[in-house]
Amino acid sequence: MAVCIAVIAKENYPLYIRSIPAENKLKFHYMVHTSLDVVEEKISTVGKALVDQRELYLGLLYPTEDYKVYGYVTNSKVKFVIVVDSSNTALRDNEIRSMFRKLHNSYTDVMCNPFYNPGDTIQSKSFDTMVSGMMLQAC
Amino acid sequence: MSIPDYMQCAEDHQTLLVVVQPVGIVPEEHFFKIYKRIASINQINVRDSQRVLYIRYRHHYPPENNEWGDFQTHRKVVGLIAVTECVQAKDWPQTAERYHNQKEVFGSTLYDSRLLVFGLHGEIAEQTRTDVAFYPNYEECKEMEKRVEDFIESLFIVLESKRLDRTTDKSGDKIPLLCVPFEKKDFVGLDTDSRHYKKRCQGRMRKHVGDLCLQAGMLQDALVHYHMAVELLRSVNDFLWLGAALEGLCSASVIYHYPGGTAGKFGARKQSISVSAESGKRHRPGAQEVLIDPGALTTNGISADTSSEIGRAKNCLSPEDIIEKYKEAISYYGKYKNAGVIELEACVKAVRVLAIQKRSMEASEFLQNAVYINLGQLSEEEKIQRYSILSELYDLIGFHRKSAFFKRVAAMQCVAPTIPEPGWRACYKLLLETLPGYSLSLDPKDFSKGNHKGWAAVQMRLLHELVYASRRMGNPGLSVRHLSFLLQTMLDFLSDQEKKEVTQSLENYTSKCPGGMETITLPDGLKLLPVPFTKLPIVRSVKLLNLPLGLRPHKVKSLLGQSLATKSPFIYSPIIVHNRGEERGKKIDFQWVQGDVCEVQLMVYNPMPFELRVENVGLLSSGVEFESLPAALSLPAESGLYPVTLVGVPRTSGNITINGYHTSVFGVTSDCLLENLPGVKTSGCTVEVVPALPRLQLNTSLPRSAHTLQPASGEEVSTSVSVQLFNGESQKLVVKLENIGSEPLETLEITSKVVTTKEKLFGDFLTWNLDEVLSQLPLKPGQVATLTVGIRVKLDFSGQESMLQDLNDDGISVTGLPISSPLRQVLKPRTESKPLNSSESNKSGEYNHVKALEAILNFKYSGGPGHVEGYYRNLSLGLHVDVEPSVFFTRVSTLPATSTRQCHLLLDVFNATEHELTVSAKNNEDLVLHAGECQRMAIQVNKFNFENLPQLSEETSNFTNLKQQEEERQHARGFEINSQLDIWEASVEGVLNQLVLEHLQLAPLQWGESQSRLCSLVAMLWLITCVKERMCVIVHSGTQFCLHCILYSYLQWVDSASQS
Repeated sequence: MAVCIAVIAKENYPLYIRSIPAENKLKFHYMVHTSLDVVEEKISTVGKALVDQRELYLGLLYPTEDYKVYGYVTNSKVKFVIVVDSSNTALRDNEIRSMFRKLHNSYTDVMCNPFYNPGDTIQSKSFDTMVSGMMLQAC
Repeated sequence: MSIPDYMQCAEDHQTLLVVVQPVGIVPEEHFFKIYKRIASINQINVRDSQRVLYIRYRHHYPPENNEWGDFQTHRKVVGLIAVTECVQAKDWPQTAERYHNQKEVFGSTLYDSRLLVFGLHGEIAEQTRTDVAFYPNYEECKEMEKRVEDFIESLFIVLESKRLDRTTDKSGDKIPLLCVPFEKKDFVGLDTDSRHYKKRCQGRMRKHVGDLCLQAGMLQDALVHYHMAVELLRSVNDFLWLGAALEGLCSASVIYHYPGGTAGKFGARKQSISVSAESGKRHRPGAQEVLIDPGALTTNGISADTSSEIGRAKNCLSPEDIIEKYKEAISYYGKYKNAGVIELEACVKAVRVLAIQKRSMEASEFLQNAVYINLGQLSEEEKIQRYSILSELYDLIGFHRKSAFFKRVAAMQCVAPTIPEPGWRACYKLLLETLPGYSLSLDPKDFSKGNHKGWAAVQMRLLHELVYASRRMGNPGLSVRHLSFLLQTMLDFLSDQEKKEVTQSLENYTSKCPGGMETITLPDGLKLLPVPFTKLPIVRSVKLLNLPLGLRPHKVKSLLGQSLATKSPFIYSPIIVHNRGEERGKKIDFQWVQGDVCEVQLMVYNPMPFELRVENVGLLSSGVEFESLPAALSLPAESGLYPVTLVGVPRTSGNITINGYHTSVFGVTSDCLLENLPGVKTSGCTVEVVPALPRLQLNTSLPRSAHTLQPASGEEVSTSVSVQLFNGESQKLVVKLENIGSEPLETLEITSKVVTTKEKLFGDFLTWNLDEVLSQLPLKPGQVATLTVGIRVKLDFSGQESMLQDLNDDGISVTGLPISSPLRQVLKPRTESKPLNSSESNKSGEYNHVKALEAILNFKYSGGPGHVEGYYRNLSLGLHVDVEPSVFFTRVSTLPATSTRQCHLLLDVFNATEHELTVSAKNNEDLVLHAGECQRMAIQVNKFNFENLPQLSEETSNFTNLKQQEEERQHARGFEINSQLDIWEASVEGVLNQLVLEHLQLAPLQWGESQSRLCSLVAMLWLITCVKERMCVIVHSGTQFCLHCILYSYLQWVDSASQS
């Protein structure tokens, strides 16, 4: 389903990034990195409009020739980015939303681990399997 | 048209394009100097009106772009200023010829042209021609600006006439069809009389007039024309021109809304003029706002002033509409493949407007669109230009990451494999510009504090690219610097394999160009700060070490010294002055000495997965001239904390601060300052260096011992020697004092201290003659003085404390006399039959127990400048003596002798050694004792004069009795024991003391049972008082001899009692 899933810290460095192994890893790094510009822009504009009732889902950040990049930001400004293949038209907004929700829940579980230091890269196995599950679904 | 002008912005629509070109050979610097002066005249207030004319100058303009001049008039070259250099008059015709040729290039569109001739004198220069100006040289051309202004006014006149000409065109007349170059063939054979065609012509002409009005400074007129053009063109579906009309509308609105311009800092307009235009508008608050059809107005009716007012609100687009219209226009342009450049430029213009409006999201959509506009086959250079401009625009809308991404792509394009001569320099320059986008700075300090920030994967990639580019540029110093930076800042993110690769390539580079601590300044002024390898190895703590014990300086205590300690009148204050950063600057409470090797201990560890060789490790210090002695170390892979001691010699005195350390790793030398190191523990880095002092080295005749004295006394001992002696033995210890320092030794004091032991020690343990040494002072460096110390071991010779209880058990008390001769034979076998019962064997074990005696000899010495300052050194020599038991006096008793003046002192002597020995006593024959043998010996002693004794109770009597006491002491010392090995002296003093105390308690009872009650009562009374008094003496004076007196008084008393 997804070709790349990334979790980005509040300070804009990656906590977790995973992409399909076939492709060049760095390409996705660049893609997710540049998408942060849009995320920041969206956060700043949304923040002005609705402070308390904020939609966490940011929607499509930008489309490229081959991929679509979706964003989601938690209340603690941790960003989730999902890159999907743009040829996959079966994916609708709702599916993307539910993917983000799943990701958020799993991330919350990671944070609940008392041995996890906020700000460290995520090495949780259960998070990993959940992400691989989301990435496999498409294939 | 194939070459886009990426620098275009909306307000360029109102400019007149003037090309300034050199003709013939003009030195480039002179040309650009002139060009700059001309280009400064980019705004002209036209005479008699508030209209402002804007000029855009270009020194290069592709003629094919000029062909699009009808489509958008600002693309049309309307003026030409040719600059030429002509020194000789004969060259003039040729120059003029060239000028005319140049005019031909843009001939179709030129309104007017000028030629500026430099360097020509003489009659030709005298002639006055409107289109040619002569200047003697490049400096003397003051009126040039005036000439340019005149020229622009002439342009304006042409423009104005053209505008009026077109405006007055009535719809009835035949309107020519304006078209862009690629359309020309499409219209061949079209019905020119159709309504559709006419409308198309009309629409295009309106749009054209709008352009002219805009250029002529009549903004509102332009808006009206554009509106009409949009209506007309929409009805005939002439999309390309509709797009242009819409864009014109947008441009005019942008010019209205944003008088400051949208080009950013590059093309910022002079604000003063727009302000004046603004104020001009305010003068007419009541002006009617009506939509006027300019076509219906007569030429004379439209003055510039009114036109700026009319229909403002309705014709001008709102900021939101501008974007909508831009979008529409771009979508129309998009229908035409050949209009790619126009579309791209429109996108760029729209982005600039959006950037001003701070609508980044929409701007990014425009840019996204611009990325995909296909301009056909682009040359590499054009690609680079395109990516660069995309990067710039992304930066403009605040998308720094995207900007960095495109800049990096541009950089990579510079060195694309298809390029025959890769531009590594340009690539490197562009890569450097991407740094902020990846939140990467090349200052290692930014990384030393706190956690790493930013996206390590992309940052690492960029650094690798910088390294590679700088290497290809042929600047190995730069690549070393970048690679060092990569290694230092990205260490946590490098895999083991990458660490190996990076260090290997670093070593390769440094073999050609060693890395150092100097700042590298790039040609464009960027400074690359040095990268100290603070993580190779990682230092965890820094600790200054005190000098070894014997070398520590001590301050001579003086009254003056005390006043230094108290700064405040209060001894204690609850208010603690917290001072940040004090910890590092904290002074340490010990001192170093000038000229002596001082040590600093670092705890380091190696984070690399391989052995790390660190060379040339030394200390960085300030305050005192310090000679650092570099070391080299090799740390095993991923070592734990590893102590490293760095040494150095302070060459002057004062306060020294250890600021850091320097290393050389992989050929890169680094100076690591402690203040830049996070998480380094230090207990202060400043220490006082006192002036030089001499150094003393001790050599003794005795072997050194590994045994160190327990520091119970609070003093630590630098060296210690040990010797094994039998109890009572004495030996000479020769101490050689050598001055191994560089200062003369001037003073020496020797003291000794016996480390407290359980054992009682009699007599002087250590004796020496200080004068022997003092006579050899001052001791120059290298000289040796000798000191002889006598060691004499005299411990308790008595048996164990249980001995007297043994006497009781043996029933001696019953006999009335403490020890009676018949029992002697009974007792003897008991002591000898050690293995018979366990308690006995224990006892014998105690006899054999080796006792240890420890003493410290302190040598206080000083000299040289340190002595002047009041410092001295204290060298202590520990002396450890294992005292082996020699003989024990297991029992003591007395027997009356034949003479009443004398009695026999009976002693059971036990040989605890493994040797045969001879015991000799005064006036007695020698007694030979075999190992482990116990024998009784009797010594005849003189009785004590009883009459004198009571006086002892007075303190003064001590002196009168001295003589007697001495006598008794002589008895006690009368045992001369000769062994086969050596001669030593044994003392019975200890034996007697114990004995006396015990007997004094026992005696009255014993006596009372066998003698008359009266006598006993009297004697007892006396005895008790006597004991009391004596006890007091013991307590007060602590001396031993008084007890002897009691013993002897007792013996005498026993004698007299038995006689009576």
